[in-house]
Amino acid sequence: MDRFFEFRRNDFELDEDQEAVQDAFRTFFSKECPTSVVRAAEPLGYDKNLWSDLLGLGVTSMGLPSAAGGDSASFVDLVLMAEECGAALAPVPLISQVVVARLLAAAGSPLANEVLAGVVCGDRPVVVVPHASYGQRQLVPDAALALDAIVLDGRSLLLVTRDASPPAVRNQGHTPLAWLDPSAGTRQVLLDGPRAAELHARTIQEWKLLTAAALVGLTNRAMFIAVEFAKTRYTLGVPIGTLQGVSFPLADVAINVGGTRNLVRKAAWMHEHEPGARPDLIPMAFATAARIAAHGTATAVHVHGGLGVTIEADISLYFRRAKGWALLLGDPNDDYRAIGDLLAAAAI
Amino acid sequence: MDFGTIELDDQQQKFRFEIDALLDEHLAQRGPERRRFGPHELVDPVLVRKLADRGLLMPSWPIEDGGAGLDRIHRFIVDFELRRRGIDGIGSELVWSAVKRFGNPDLVEELKPKVASGEVRFCLGYTEPDGGSDIAAAKTRAVRDGNEWIINGSKVFTTAAHISQYIFLITRTDPEKPKHRGLTMFLVPTDWPGVEVSQMQTIGDEETNVTYYGDVRLPDRYRLGEVNDGWTVLRGPLDSEHDFAQKTDGLTESMGCWAMERTPTYAAFDATVEWARTAIRSDGSHPIDDPTVRLRLGRVAADIEWAMCSLGPLGRVAGAEVNVRAAAELCDIIGPEALLPYDADGAVDGGDVERAHQFAQATITYGGCVEVFRQMIAQHVLGLPRPQYPGSKNLVPARSL
Repeated sequence: MDRFFEFRRNDFELDEDQEAVQDAFRTFFSKECPTSVVRAAEPLGYDKNLWSDLLGLGVTSMGLPSAAGGDSASFVDLVLMAEECGAALAPVPLISQVVVARLLAAAGSPLANEVLAGVVCGDRPVVVVPHASYGQRQLVPDAALALDAIVLDGRSLLLVTRDASPPAVRNQGHTPLAWLDPSAGTRQVLLDGPRAAELHARTIQEWKLLTAAALVGLTNRAMFIAVEFAKTRYTLGVPIGTLQGVSFPLADVAINVGGTRNLVRKAAWMHEHEPGARPDLIPMAFATAARIAAHGTATAVHVHGGLGVTIEADISLYFRRAKGWALLLGDPNDDYRAIGDLLAAAAI
Repeated sequence: MDFGTIELDDQQQKFRFEIDALLDEHLAQRGPERRRFGPHELVDPVLVRKLADRGLLMPSWPIEDGGAGLDRIHRFIVDFELRRRGIDGIGSELVWSAVKRFGNPDLVEELKPKVASGEVRFCLGYTEPDGGSDIAAAKTRAVRDGNEWIINGSKVFTTAAHISQYIFLITRTDPEKPKHRGLTMFLVPTDWPGVEVSQMQTIGDEETNVTYYGDVRLPDRYRLGEVNDGWTVLRGPLDSEHDFAQKTDGLTESMGCWAMERTPTYAAFDATVEWARTAIRSDGSHPIDDPTVRLRLGRVAADIEWAMCSLGPLGRVAGAEVNVRAAAELCDIIGPEALLPYDADGAVDGGDVERAHQFAQATITYGGCVEVFRQMIAQHVLGLPRPQYPGSKNLVPARSL
């Protein structure tokens, strides 16, 4: 049973600095991103002004090492930021740009540094193509906002640049998703050699972890919207929230959110402090977050009854993004299998 | 936030080696037919004596009181090494905190050395045959007669009563008052005239008891706290059992992950992974070569880790329900061999999976069923209004709708 009995602390308490990060983004999003902003940004899912304000706060550089002009924020801080971004359903390419900035900083080539400067200030958004290229077009998150895409091609990371962004394709999550053909465009080598694939894989892991955090924030907010409804909606002369047929499913969502939030934060702490020590944690965090977000938002919609499935109900915004964000990088079940692969290889 | 390895200085490291050696030696001396989990270890007088000799039954007590005077880290080492081997804490501390605070000073002085030596252990007399988790609805009656109390009634799931010297008993002393205000707590010696302890076996291979109280005449010195204020006396240990009263420091949370009710699931998971790596299917492959098996093991692993990250009342529900889900799924992955108990031909790793499946079911009920915790979470985490039932505050007879 030693895999379960590690002689470690299990301390999830946020310290003062972490609370300050959380408070700052919570305040920012509650002020700048009410659901009216989310709706106004549909169907593309991009609010230029909101993104510009966030860039002004330094969101793309905070997670970079100081040598690359960043603030050396811990990955835990990035997770706290992503939770708040998710709770607000903010229509901004925050997660994709944070992880691509970290990729470029780690790549460190002159070209990478030049591109990084554009990502940090927001003038030149870049997306990472999630899956290795086999000549097929693929759906790439936030690609409709960018001219540049980073593609893993064999042992190289390439920067593929086009004259125009690919057109956005309508999608359930209202995100700037686009079909992208990784072979079309001008190709420049960002990084060659074994580190290329490693860096690409790390970037996808970080993307998944921040997406998991955003899904936790999203689900938590959806849950409390449903709780407010359950307190004020009456049936049989009592608030529906007193009925255990309503309150227990919501309690299940609370249980799911609580454990998953901690799992995501633990994965972030380990990724920051002992990268590679627990390679199973990020797949666990992501697959679990995807599952509980689908369950939690479906529950929250159902608490609203028929109103929950109307476009005008805010809760439907959450429902569509829960699935709409969780699937952007592929089937979350792949991550459960990845854990099994680690078990098979006796790597955990 | 801290998930780092706990660093020990030389002295702490030495202490850990000593505890390791003590427990390894003890386990090596036991027979091969030993059952691996559950309260059975508590019965082992050899282990109890070995621990008592070092003050480790009440490890945080001062040495002069028979404890070991351990600080948080040393205490953590002891608990960690016990749990890692599937040995339950010896567990008199929960009740003792109430006895010490609310007991007759003479009684406290009398019991203290015996608690430290393991001669005195306590069990919980809460649940009644028709009461379930609604402890405050207790019907077992205590009626005052001069300087004595006459107790009549029965309790179920008085687990460990057969190896305990006292029952921490909740009784009804005033049926007219609101139900939480007519209760009084007693320490009842298990060998007192009129007390009968009858054993019950569970499917999870645990022993529990029914205890009967027939005209038990108990001196007033065994009363804890004020008459009709039993709920206050009981709340301390209950809050502790329900995790609401615990402080967070990263050590307590780790111990929560390793609660005894979870260790059979951990053992079953390990056994299944080992089976998947080594068993040979008819086509010559190992089960773990099958992507479906890897997917399913990955899902169970994630579920367990999620439960380990769930704290307090959330963790109570998550931990127990993952036990149920995980054990059932691990059985399915293995197939018919998972049905073989530890002493059957071909049992998988000593029957750990088979046992975990049967053991898991009780964990969603004992210590307050998970529905009680869901209601707490609905009210205290979500802020939902409390449902009003006829018996929420008052004792009411059962009635049909």
